[in-house]
Amino acid sequence: MLLLQGCGSQKKGDAPFAPKYDKDTEFSLTVAGSYGNFESLEAEFERFYEYYPNANLQYVTMDDYKNVIPSALVSSEPPDIFTTNGSMIGDEKYDAMFEACEVFSDSSVGIDYSCIRDSLIRTTDSGDVVMLPIFTTSYGMLVNMDIFEKEGLKVPNNFKELMDVCAKLKAAGYESPVMGPDVFSGSGLFNCFAYPMFAYDVMKNSDKVDALNNLESASGEMMRPALERLSEFVNSDCIDIAKCQEEITDEYEAVIMRFFEGDVPMMLATGDVVSGTGKRESKSDAFTANPFKYRFYTVPAGDDGGYFINSISICFSVNKNSRNLDMANEFMRFLISKKELSNMAASKRLITPIDDFSTNELYSSLADIPADRSFSDKETGLMDPAVRQFRAAIYAVGNGTMTVDEAVAAYGNIPEE
Amino acid sequence: MHIPDNRGSEVKRGLIITINLLIMGFILFFIIRYANAKAEESNKNEIIAFEKMTVTTNQIITNYLEDEQRLCDVWANYINRSAEDGAPMTAEDAVSYIRKAKISSEIEGHLIFLDSPRREGLSTTPTVSDEGDYSVTYKNINIFDNIESDSDEHGVVSLTRAYTNPMNGVQSIAFLNNVTVLEEEGGAPKEGLLMRVVPLSRLEQKLVFLKGEYENVEISLVDKKGNYVVHGKSFKNSNFFEYYKSYNAATAEEYEHVTKEIASGTGTMTIKNFKKEDCILSYTPLETMKTWVLLAYIPANDLVASRSIDWLLLGIATLGFLLLLIFNSIVMMIYNRELSEAAKQANQANEAKSNFLSTMSHDIRTPMNAILGLNEMVLRDSKDDNIRMYAESIRTAGSTLLGIINDILDFSKIEAGKMEIINVDYSFVSLLNDLINMVQKKAEDKGLFFKPDVDKDIPMVLNGDEIRIKQVIINILSNAVKYTKEGGITFSVKANKLQDKPNAVMLRVSVSDTGIGIKPEDLDKLFVAFQRIEEKRNRNIEGTGLGMTIVQRFLDMMGSRLEVESEYGKGSVFSFELEQKVVKWDPIGDFEEAFRRSSSTLNKYHEKFTAPDARVLVVDDTAVNLTVFVNLLKRTGIQIDTAESGDECISLFGSKSYDVIFLDHMMPDKDGIETLMEMKEITDTPNMGVPVICLTANAISGMREMYTNAGFDDYLTKPIDAERLEMMLLQYLPEDKVTIASENGDADEKELPDFLYGIKGLDADAGMDYCGDAEDYIMALETFLGSAEKKAEEIENFWAERDIKNTTVKVHGLKSSFRAIGALKLSEFAAELEKAGNDGDTDRLDKDLSELISGYRELVKELEPLKNL
Repeated sequence: MLLLQGCGSQKKGDAPFAPKYDKDTEFSLTVAGSYGNFESLEAEFERFYEYYPNANLQYVTMDDYKNVIPSALVSSEPPDIFTTNGSMIGDEKYDAMFEACEVFSDSSVGIDYSCIRDSLIRTTDSGDVVMLPIFTTSYGMLVNMDIFEKEGLKVPNNFKELMDVCAKLKAAGYESPVMGPDVFSGSGLFNCFAYPMFAYDVMKNSDKVDALNNLESASGEMMRPALERLSEFVNSDCIDIAKCQEEITDEYEAVIMRFFEGDVPMMLATGDVVSGTGKRESKSDAFTANPFKYRFYTVPAGDDGGYFINSISICFSVNKNSRNLDMANEFMRFLISKKELSNMAASKRLITPIDDFSTNELYSSLADIPADRSFSDKETGLMDPAVRQFRAAIYAVGNGTMTVDEAVAAYGNIPEE
Repeated sequence: MHIPDNRGSEVKRGLIITINLLIMGFILFFIIRYANAKAEESNKNEIIAFEKMTVTTNQIITNYLEDEQRLCDVWANYINRSAEDGAPMTAEDAVSYIRKAKISSEIEGHLIFLDSPRREGLSTTPTVSDEGDYSVTYKNINIFDNIESDSDEHGVVSLTRAYTNPMNGVQSIAFLNNVTVLEEEGGAPKEGLLMRVVPLSRLEQKLVFLKGEYENVEISLVDKKGNYVVHGKSFKNSNFFEYYKSYNAATAEEYEHVTKEIASGTGTMTIKNFKKEDCILSYTPLETMKTWVLLAYIPANDLVASRSIDWLLLGIATLGFLLLLIFNSIVMMIYNRELSEAAKQANQANEAKSNFLSTMSHDIRTPMNAILGLNEMVLRDSKDDNIRMYAESIRTAGSTLLGIINDILDFSKIEAGKMEIINVDYSFVSLLNDLINMVQKKAEDKGLFFKPDVDKDIPMVLNGDEIRIKQVIINILSNAVKYTKEGGITFSVKANKLQDKPNAVMLRVSVSDTGIGIKPEDLDKLFVAFQRIEEKRNRNIEGTGLGMTIVQRFLDMMGSRLEVESEYGKGSVFSFELEQKVVKWDPIGDFEEAFRRSSSTLNKYHEKFTAPDARVLVVDDTAVNLTVFVNLLKRTGIQIDTAESGDECISLFGSKSYDVIFLDHMMPDKDGIETLMEMKEITDTPNMGVPVICLTANAISGMREMYTNAGFDDYLTKPIDAERLEMMLLQYLPEDKVTIASENGDADEKELPDFLYGIKGLDADAGMDYCGDAEDYIMALETFLGSAEKKAEEIENFWAERDIKNTTVKVHGLKSSFRAIGALKLSEFAAELEKAGNDGDTDRLDKDLSELISGYRELVKELEPLKNL
């Protein structure tokens, strides 16, 4: 009988990982990736050593990862496991690479990934699962819970509540109750605010997706609800764009350090930014002096609430040509479990791919998002060019260089950065 | 000798075990300290060795890097020489040359033009994904901004950090040199960067050799920012300093310190790894590339000598010590048991010896009593001067022997712990009298002067152990006489009041002689039992060698000590101080004068009285003693019955009438006390109220109380002193049966003390007439005085019990006594009351008896000064 570990067994009764091979097996594995640091993975190595003390696992950061990894896999020193991401699959540049990957959906590999949310599972054209998500991310906001508690307010659930809360906070002396980085990229404050809503609308109108992807001008109308809500937001008491531009000079470090100053009730941010908070708490004198509790929430842009759009941050794939393929799969079998994935996500401060948010308090609010408004970026069907046009539109509207009408009309030709 | 009891040996055993444990503890403590010091030293050495290994590794890496750089330089030189020769190679030619020149397929040569937009160039090896594509780009690989280079005497090493080879995705490092090649378009020379790209694994292989020596060592190389070039398994993070910060909870200052330390030179530090375990980190900058630092990491447990070996050693040592202790304890216990057995036997033997000595002494005293007694008879009866001279010699030798026996007896008692100090009230004058009487004659016999020097203010009655004090002083005085040939002895007694004790005085007794003296080195021998000083020289001097030992022991027991000052050949001074309680503060007065006067009256023995009507019973189990007793009283004409046992005594007591009974204490079967008790129970006897006097060989203080309590009227010590015996008889025999002997011409007239004439109710002349002469009169007065209180109490007690018969008997006795001393009025008064008693006139007795007694006591009080004489 094949012993299936990982997610499946967890559902059955949280059975611990059962090593398949002799404990004394000596082997080395290399995990390649683009992260400069991957401490959460290195912590998993140590946990894996408890089962295989003679194992030697190493994480290697590769330069120019996206370009180099396909070559690395066929080099004289190929990695055994390597990181991939959602954008790679379907890209013909990586076709050969994925062909050289272990197929996790093949039951003989023995990896049960059922604990991972289905919406996050990517397959090749032939339906093979060759990558499994380890971390996911989203767009939302960091909330300073202490301020809300101090002001006796509840974190807003919908746009109306957001307006009310912002008015009260403004009245209480918070110049810009919401802040964020005014940048073009996906980490920008406008994207964090409007993109989930836009993506939701697109998903609900899937017949328009092709037109949007084809950058047909008329399909720009799909952006209107999100753009109008953005316009309404930037023109409210909620946010002082000029202050954001002045005080938040990049989309990562500055966002976190400004938030740690402790006077920003809500900071628009992506999950990737949130993952950087842990190490920076001690770097912030203000936070060290006056630490506070903070949580990640979706932005309540919709009338009914926020939208949780979940996108893959990184996946792990196994090199089918690995000299230690069995042990590479064994490590994946160990790693793809509720427990280990939760540990990793909590350590990295990213959103876990498993269907249980309660394991990380930072993201626990996501459990409250109704299934209807919870989806993955894959489900929208939007292609990168369409997404970039939307970002151009919100950047222009948010910064007041275009009206909503102008942006809608200009879809397909909106200048990008 | 006294052997300690078991409890004592338990304490000693406990002490020995404690000392053993302490020594053991000290040794173990020392071992721990020593082992720790050694371990620390060993650890230090291990760390130094580890650091040396790091430096060696550094050399290996340096050599390797220099070699690789040299090979790169060879390529570059070849290409540049072509350019210098005016025929520069094209990039293609250069790469083609390198392709041929390089030996290893793993190593690639990249020729990069940094000024091109994508930092493009050519590679000796095609990209793995396209075998026909030799182009290489470093656009997305940021290594050229921080090219590491350094120079020393060997030249320049210029290399990149570890990076991913864009052609094959292998982690590599590249050695660099500049080359001039021909531009493809235009044919102009242009600068290119030649890279010898070496997989990092080749460098890592150089470090494999270390595994043999240090199994868990991990070598890392970091650049000046702490970024890993080569990454040890245990180092997390991409940067060593970040790693350090994550797991070492270091303050900003500590972090700063560590970064500076590592950048500044070779050294070793202890850091925590991600498991919070202590690890040793040795660091040294690469000789070639000072901006790269070699880090050698090893878990501290692998390097630092395990203490378990120390504990094992310690455990074995502890066990060994304990076994030794147990073994020693067992051996000690066995020896102790044997010793204890031996000691017990020795104790028994010693006890047996003491008993033997004691018994022997006692047993010798008994025949001595006979010898001296019979000798006394010879002296009295013989008219032959020769025989008298022999008898005198026997008396002297006998006395000496008796002294020796007494010493042995005392010593054996002291040894047996049976000697006790018994304090009684005593007359100091009487004590002095005895002392001087005993010593003066001996001194004079040797032609020595004897000078008493007695403080006039010494209180009259003191409380102390009279017998022992007398013994101490006699011993000292006798010694002084024995060891003095010329000159004499000064005997001095002083009394000083004690400020803090109002009821006591400190007597200072000092005996100085002009004798042979003692050498300083012999002083210590003085108090050693049986040890005699200068045995050879003094062999003719009698003695046991016990005298001073006994003196010292007695003084010890009385809280004093003997002081000796001596000048060899000139004389010695023996002195001691003794605290005595004062009973009567009246001063003794001029003792020397009184003594001189009384000495002059000393004369030869003559019987004091005759009493042919009197009958005395003497009981002693030794027939000779009885003979002596009978002979001593032969001239008094007293009728003497003898009995050799208690039973015989009781039998005679019931059948015949006696005036006084002398009963020996120590007798077989029924001793004196038991016999007396039986006698007291007999009612049908003609001897009711007859005085019974105890004969005893034990001369100890408090004896009077002991025998009085037992029911005796008085006691007499053996060997029996004839005079004392006669005095006692005079006291106890009915006066009407006694006829005082007439004056013999030998005696000088003695004058009565004046105060006697001043006593109201006492007709001294009548008394003297009655007694015959002044001496006898004084003796009679002293006897009267000695028994007065006892008699008064007896009468009071009998009358309190309404014992009219005995009261009358006692009043009758009183009447005689009063008359004998010239207290005529009291005598008449007593006669009246005797008559009243005989008449059964209790009213008269009730009325006047107390008056008689108080008159009696007043008279006694007025006669008290007699005791000072």
